[in-house]
Amino acid sequence: MTAKDLNKISRENLWFNNPIFIQILGICSTLAVTNLLTNTLIMTLGVTFVAAFSNLTIAFMKDWIPRKVRMIVQVLIISFYVIIVDILLRAFLPEISKNLGPYVGLIITNCILMGRAEAFAQSNPPFPAFWDGLTSGIGYMWVLMTIAFVRELLGFGTLFGFPVTPSWFPQWTIMVMAPSAFFLVAILLWIAKNRMTGGKA
Amino acid sequence: MKKDGILYTVVFSFVITFLFVFLLALANEGTSEIVQKNQELARQKAILSAMAIPYSTDKEVNVLYKSIEILDKEGVRLYKSMQGGKTIYAKEFSGSGLWGTITGILSVDEQVSQIVGIQIVNHNETPGLGGRVAEPWFKEQFRGLKAKNGKIRVTYGAEAGSGKANKEEGIVDGITGASRTSQSMDTILNGELVVLKKILGGTK
Repeated sequence: MTAKDLNKISRENLWFNNPIFIQILGICSTLAVTNLLTNTLIMTLGVTFVAAFSNLTIAFMKDWIPRKVRMIVQVLIISFYVIIVDILLRAFLPEISKNLGPYVGLIITNCILMGRAEAFAQSNPPFPAFWDGLTSGIGYMWVLMTIAFVRELLGFGTLFGFPVTPSWFPQWTIMVMAPSAFFLVAILLWIAKNRMTGGKA
Repeated sequence: MKKDGILYTVVFSFVITFLFVFLLALANEGTSEIVQKNQELARQKAILSAMAIPYSTDKEVNVLYKSIEILDKEGVRLYKSMQGGKTIYAKEFSGSGLWGTITGILSVDEQVSQIVGIQIVNHNETPGLGGRVAEPWFKEQFRGLKAKNGKIRVTYGAEAGSGKANKEEGIVDGITGASRTSQSMDTILNGELVVLKKILGGTK
């Protein structure tokens, strides 16, 4: 694994094979948590952390995992890291833990984690697997942060909780609710696909 | 031993599950004291802010909390405090929201005619939607809210955010996009007002 390979992995995960744009994974959380930037940031940081470390652990253990139970073991490792995140938040950042409520636990069901474990960590050495998890998480993060930026700005008139729009600006209720994420994901997908193919279908 | 053999699979699954669960148990045990302290502090802070008692540091919370009298009336635990020459009471409440139980503190005056304040201790509502019950703009609406004929009203549906809120009339703006949570708050708090009225009504 050379620097060139690592570079290729990050380019794939951040853009050409972005988990949201191309793999269409993790859409459920894209719809649910993206109406506030702060929640989105903490959630995507959690996903990035768990993706990186679960990939690392799975890549270390892959030679000992029997094929029949490999997916169960992957879920076990993923849940382990998610619960660790939950415990740490509860002990050291109780306010944030309170704000996120059930969403931390729901990281377990994020399809990107299973997807990367099965598609990459299961057949690659530990360090590239860690890198793959990390960049996948960041690829997911920047797309979600873009959506959250638009939704919070138009829906609440704030950014990270700070009011930014003038008082006469109407708040778009639709942006607070899940349907707006559908529109925004679709619009972003369209733009991204268009750029990748250079306008050709 | 064959890697795909049944024995290896069973032993491997057992060992790996045991190992990870053991580590989690350790992490949980190691932080349980801090978590408990956080929860207790959060509960005391909630009681103080529901009763509109200002505090700034965690140390102050402890001292102020000790000044509150804890009573047991008809099997219900009440917190009693004198604020600005008036006696006010607070009670812990809990009731079902959309996803889970909402727990919090409700503080009222002696006649149960006015709410002093509410605080949310715990909830599992949707972050960004129902989860906004814990946000200051929602809770602040209850400060000094008059209970009309012993009742208050949290608007929901098309009424939420329509500017109907009125402290004199006991009407609070519900949360846009979270009708069920707003409805639940209405039900829970009105139920609590009835209970408080029953307990405190007899002391006059």
